[in-house]
Order: sequence, then structure tokens, then C-alpha cells
Amino acid sequence: MSKMPIIFVFSDKKDRLPEIIAGALALGEDVCAFVVGTDEDAQYAASLGAGVVYTFAPQQDVMLEDYAPSFSALVAGCGKKAMVLLPPSKRGRALAARMGVQLGAAVANEVTKVEIADSVTVGRMVFGGLASGSEKITSPVCVLTLSSGSFEPAAPDASRKAELKQGAFVPPAIMPKVVGQTPKQGSSVDLCKAKKVLCVGRGFAKKEDLALAENLATVIGAELGCSRPVAEGEGWMERERYIGVSGVMLKADVYFAVGVSGQIQHMVGANGSKVIIAVSKDKNAPIFNFVDYGIVGDLYKVLPGLTSLLK
Amino acid sequence: MKIISCCKIVPEEQDISVNNDKTLKLDTAGLKISLYDLNALEAGVELAATQEGSTVTALTVGAKVSTSNTKVRKDILSRGADSLAVVGDEALAGILPGETAKIMAGAAKKLGFDLILCGEGSADLYAQQTGLLLGELLGVPTINSVGKITINGSTARVERDLEDEVEIVEVPLPAVLSVTTDINVPKIPSMKAILAASKKPVEEISLADAGYSSAPASTVLSILAPDQADRKREIIEGDSEEQIAAFAANIRKILN
Repeated sequence: MSKMPIIFVFSDKKDRLPEIIAGALALGEDVCAFVVGTDEDAQYAASLGAGVVYTFAPQQDVMLEDYAPSFSALVAGCGKKAMVLLPPSKRGRALAARMGVQLGAAVANEVTKVEIADSVTVGRMVFGGLASGSEKITSPVCVLTLSSGSFEPAAPDASRKAELKQGAFVPPAIMPKVVGQTPKQGSSVDLCKAKKVLCVGRGFAKKEDLALAENLATVIGAELGCSRPVAEGEGWMERERYIGVSGVMLKADVYFAVGVSGQIQHMVGANGSKVIIAVSKDKNAPIFNFVDYGIVGDLYKVLPGLTSLLK
Repeated sequence: MKIISCCKIVPEEQDISVNNDKTLKLDTAGLKISLYDLNALEAGVELAATQEGSTVTALTVGAKVSTSNTKVRKDILSRGADSLAVVGDEALAGILPGETAKIMAGAAKKLGFDLILCGEGSADLYAQQTGLLLGELLGVPTINSVGKITINGSTARVERDLEDEVEIVEVPLPAVLSVTTDINVPKIPSMKAILAASKKPVEEISLADAGYSSAPASTVLSILAPDQADRKREIIEGDSEEQIAAFAANIRKILN
């Protein structure tokens, strides 16, 4: 695989920068980081392996996305084939799209695979994870947001030094004004990172019965997840917990389905798990085509039994 | 105020199955309004109700086989927009957001607008780009993840629902906003709305009228279902005490 002559990186979230710089180091010859912040932030980008760091002073009342023209000017100015790598956060996506238009560059979000030859080919999930799409990029510059987990994060090494430069803020022609910001309680759960997930489906007759699943989850140390109807139809659990198309895509060691029928739209979210276990009273439920271990039985009998046996 | 609410017509995901060669079988799938765009349609109608003399035009762009579907067209109009504008052409099958946005920009210029609303992504590609690309192409402010919109004269005050914070932004109009699924609860059309939908005007806009010439920066090579992992499929049939114990033994093997 050949390498991109230069890759520009930016992350609105500090904890995503190591992964993005790792991706840039793997895919590019030179890595140039954009930082909106302090000299310390610039040193951090350098310690991760960026060869050049442009630091932009934070502007009052300006959305981070409105740095797009400033970043684009530097990318366009490099005069080479180039790639821009960003995190798939909301701000990352907004920056990607805007820089894409400004640079006449192809944009692809949540990219899971990047291949560089004469042109760049990227892979990403489509149809809510039912399939993987492969896209061929023909523009000389491309802007990608990297799916989480695509690259092993780079480790900081304070002995690494970068060429430090001052970035100039180029305001967009029309600029919205930030008038307020309130931190919010992040969702307490991130199922993508859970090692064990116990997933409840429509097999439960009522919300109170989920206690049976909670008890078992506690015993085996699993996070609770659910199928889409449980979150969206019944509203028994928050949306962050539903697994499948346009929901969570698991990378768990163990996925344990209880009362889940196993439609393909759900299973695409579960198939990334190493081991799949299921309880369902319906012998013909599609879930049994996808399991390692299953039991055809009444969950109201099986769950309490398992909970006491596995204690 | 002139509002354009954008919506994509997509295959019903519950109807999609996988062919033996791992391609997706889409031709037998029903068509529907992309789920996330229902919120854009609803937001347009709700905002129009707060601004006297407003109109809402629904805009859809895509392959003719989707956009010419009369049932979905009627469904769009029954959600409360005053009219529907359609750019449908065979050449648009399988295009990526970069091209969709160019066509939408051409159509939006032709229709005129103060505010364009998009969903947060499409149910098929879910690239979450189109609204942002559209705004940038039109040279107007463009903001994603919008959970609330209040119009104050020539400004929209929006709340952005970001991962760790809510950001409040004053956006000069015209603008393009992509809304979240939490911004509203789309209403189920009443019988009256469904009947009224068939009397509403539909405007067909050609690719030439939208000023579009194809020059994609990226194209789709393939869309394939992932390989299924091999599973053990050790299934116990029955829930007697012994069978539950055998199942527990299986689980213990993995947990330890």
C-alpha cells in the first residue's frame, strides 16, 4: 500500500487524538496536526507523533466548526495530494463536510477501512450495519472521519518534538454566534466498550420483569442492552442501549440474548461479539441460527435458574 | 418564511434480505420516508405554524424508481408540507451525498428559501453529511445535531445536542439545519391530512433545471453484507432443571 504524502488531523475531543494520529502515521508520510488551544495542547499532539503542529488561539463565541476555512486554507496551501482525518463526533462530521466542500474533496464518515493506491478506497457501514460499503475516492484531497477502534491509539512520548507553527483564524463569510454552552451528563453506558452484554427483547411481558434480566446481568457482570422495540416501542430502556441497525454495534466477548427473536436488523449489532448465547421459547426463532449456545425454554423459568446456578 | 424540509425515499430496512453473493436484495423492499427525515418534515411544519405567512416545501432527490412512488409522495405531503418538489432521475441511483447535496443546492436556489431543514442522516447510507454539504455549497451557515429551533426575526436560535454539551447558537438566516430525532415527535397523519395530500401541488425539477452536471469526487464500488461468523449452535431444547443446569454449565465454560 502506498502512503498519502501528507495527512492533516484534528480532534475536538482530546481522547480521540491518539487514535487519529496513529491512523495518520500509518497512512501518511507526513502528519500535520491542527490544535485549537494552548501550547500544551500542541506539545501533546507532538508527543503523539505529529511532525508539524499548527496552534490556533481559541476565538470568543465561535463554534469550533467555524475553524473549517482556517484548516482548509492550510490543506489547500500544501499543494499535494492530501487527506484530512477527524473523529466521527458531531463536530468532526460538521468540519468534515464543510472542509470537503471548501476543498472540492470527497467526504466519508465513520470509515472503518482505508486503502491507498492510485486512488483512495474507504469502507464504511451502510444500511445501519447490514452491509459494508466500499467507496472509491477520485479527488486529490479527501476528508474522512475515522470510526472508533480503527487504529491502535498512539502512545504519547514527550521526547518527540514537532515543528510548532501559529495558525491564523480565517472567519467564514457568515458566522453564527455561540451564546451559551452547558455541559451535559453523558450517557452512563457505552455498550460498545462492554465485554459482556445481556440483551432483552420482546419476550418479556412487562417492564417489571426486566428485574430477572438485571439479576442475571449482575451475577455474570454484564451490561444490559435491548432490542429496538424494547427501547423505541415500549420505552423500557434508554435509546443508548438498543443493539442493531442504527443502534449500538457490539464488540463484546459475550452477547447473551433473552427473549430476542434475532431479526437480521438486530443481529448486525450483535454479530461482532465473540460468543453468542440465547434464551428463547420459540424453537424457530432466527436467533438460534446465530448462537454458540442456546436453550429453547421459558425465560421466566430459565433466568431465575441460571441466576442461582451462576452465583 | 420559506422553509424547505428535505427528505429521502429509502427502502424499508425490515424488508431487506441478503442474497447468496452477499449483495443486498433491495428490489422487493417497500419504499418509505427515511425515518430521520420525519423529524425534519415535522420541524418545518411546527416552525411554519409559529411564523405567519410561512410555507413549507418538501424536497426529495433520488432515483426515479423511488421518487416517482405515488404512495410515498402522498405520505410526504400528508405530513403537513404545502407542496412537494422532486428531482428524480435514473442517473441518480446509488449516488453519494456529495452529489445529492449539489442537486439539492440547485433545487433550493430555484425554490428560494429562508431555512432548510434536514434529518440527521439517511436510513440507508447514514453518512450524516448531506445537510452540512448543502449549507456549505449554498454559502450559508450550516449546523448539525440541532435539538431545538426558535426563530427571532432574521435569526434562528438553535440548541445543538452534542456528545458532552448543549451549545446554544444564534444563526443568521438563511441557513441549513440538520435536526436530531429528539427535536419533536412526528405526528401520525390524520385521515383529513391524508385526503388533503392528494390535492397538494408537486413540482418536478429536472437535473438541468437544478444546474447539475455529474462530477462525483467519490463513487460506490460495492455494498456487501459481512461474512457470518461460524457459530457452535449447541442448542438445548427444553427448560427442565437438568437442561437449565446443562445450559449453565455451557455458560460457565465461556465466563471462566
